[in-house]
Amino acid sequence: MTQHTLFIEMNPTADVLERILRITRHRGFTVANMQMSCASAMQVTVTSERPIALLTRQLDKLYDVQQCRLAPALERAVAARA
Amino acid sequence: MISGAEAVVRAMADHGVETLFGYPGGAIMPVYDALYDSPVEHLLCRHEQGAGFAAVGFARASGRVGVCLATSGPGATNLITALADAMMDSVPVVAITGQVPRAAMGTDAFQEIDLLGMSLSCTKHSFLVTDPAELCDTLHRAFALAAEGRPGPVLVDIPKDVQLAQLDYVPPFRAVAEAANDTFELERAHALLRAAKKPLLYAGGGVGMADAVSQLREFIQITGMPSVTTLKGIGSVAPGTPGHLGMLGMHGTKAANLAVQQCDLLVVVGARFDDRVTGKLDTFAPHAKVIHLDIDPAEIDKLRVAMLSYCGDLRRVLPEMAIPLHVESWREQCDASAQQTAPSYEHAGPLIYAPALLNQLSQRLPERAIVSCDVGQHQMWVAQHMTFASPADHLSSAGLGTMGFGLPVAIGAQIARPEHMSVLVSGDGSFMMNVQELTTIKRARLPVKIVILDNQRLGMVKQWQELFFEQRYSETNLSDNPDFVTMASAFDIPGRQIWRKDQIQDAMQEMLSSEGPYLLHVSISEQENVWPLVPPGAANDQMMEPQA
Repeated sequence: MTQHTLFIEMNPTADVLERILRITRHRGFTVANMQMSCASAMQVTVTSERPIALLTRQLDKLYDVQQCRLAPALERAVAARA
Repeated sequence: MISGAEAVVRAMADHGVETLFGYPGGAIMPVYDALYDSPVEHLLCRHEQGAGFAAVGFARASGRVGVCLATSGPGATNLITALADAMMDSVPVVAITGQVPRAAMGTDAFQEIDLLGMSLSCTKHSFLVTDPAELCDTLHRAFALAAEGRPGPVLVDIPKDVQLAQLDYVPPFRAVAEAANDTFELERAHALLRAAKKPLLYAGGGVGMADAVSQLREFIQITGMPSVTTLKGIGSVAPGTPGHLGMLGMHGTKAANLAVQQCDLLVVVGARFDDRVTGKLDTFAPHAKVIHLDIDPAEIDKLRVAMLSYCGDLRRVLPEMAIPLHVESWREQCDASAQQTAPSYEHAGPLIYAPALLNQLSQRLPERAIVSCDVGQHQMWVAQHMTFASPADHLSSAGLGTMGFGLPVAIGAQIARPEHMSVLVSGDGSFMMNVQELTTIKRARLPVKIVILDNQRLGMVKQWQELFFEQRYSETNLSDNPDFVTMASAFDIPGRQIWRKDQIQDAMQEMLSSEGPYLLHVSISEQENVWPLVPPGAANDQMMEPQA
């Protein structure tokens, strides 16, 4: 199991959160932690055995998702490992 | 000012919609009222699923957006299967549904269902219009979104009071295409191509969806590479192209599957490593480096890591990638393998052999006939034994595998291309799943030709029961089927039943020369199975073949 934190910017629509969570579940990821301080941004920590790109690429396709990226600290860690 | 319902119809006209498919009901009545004296034609289907699939057939045969219309609640839920099918096969469809009035939403009102919630997993995107001022913009976005990038179904759910509200119509905006992130290491692609001794092209449905068939064919001609296609990719490579080995995968040709297992470079174009294609994934193309070209970034590295990938317009990248390669001996080896393993249409006894009948039908069909099929054994026989000049001529439910797909899809295809013959090849199981659409054929006087391959069984399930479930034939006996010819006659559709080889010639002639619709009921033996078959969990070179 690997844990990743994603930072997602999105349009503040009524259904965007539902879409993000549905894709997260369906693509084989479990939400471990989630924070939303406004309707247009969220930080979500997910766990899975699957590569995180499988999730981020699907989230990026959502019409109301503006941007989905790995949280900076983790990006650095991933870069360092690579 | 016009009503929201009038805006819906006007938006459809502005997006070039000439015919849409649907079924009226309470919450969509204002739109039906606006359609009453509109130039936009509406074809009444006899079930919303039929309307959804007719829109799919229209879109797949024409390359244009298909449109379907339904009411709230059960009307909308009946559309779901067609939307899911369109989602899996990347078909551009706009579905417009009525919803209960805004004040009634969330109260469990009559015919209320949270369709937005239901649509999340089976549409590319879905809109619920809660503000009349946003209706026009939403409709225009829906049409653009369905067709752009990787196409797919888009739903617009419109509460009845929004349909009745007065608003100022806003015409379609001119969409500015975002610059695609489509950088490609062309030199590296050329290097990989030159270094390969056994390169193979694996073409999928994306080629046809991207309108890149001619670019793909030029690529094959210039490189000289052998090729295989997926179920949806059939027709993208011209029949008879040197090195073309047909379909790969579970019911693919032996030559195609063996070539994939031997190749050292797989150029994947508009395809997605579906499990029916790969068999046991970690044994698929074990010696191959992969170049993956697809419009959808989410498909890259999803199931198989690509050494090089490109997300963007296939029509641009294929000509750039095409360089002459010295692969004559590999191509000749592939052609020889195809020749050695070609299907035989020799068949003993008087009874009809379905693969031979379909091969004969394929040769006798007029140019650019559109063949729709359902799901099961007959679907695989169509893929294996008929040839197609374009992917838009072979309409098969590939991703979702939906029984009941064929009849309404053949209807939508006939509406889209009235100049071409629309033929349905169905099975006795699938045909009954949307049989109500025979009325739609009658209503619109559509000359759809229907061939039912009837083995009185749910054939593909029965085949698996025979092979993998110890011949325990649970609920696959359909010997209580109706008399299909008599049933067709109730819809003013003439037809006949045949069961012997010597009846084929005349019956086929009668069907193909008839001006209106026709139903040919072909009785076949329940003993015939689809071969070859890659059993579940096996590698693609471990194909099962019929016992001699």
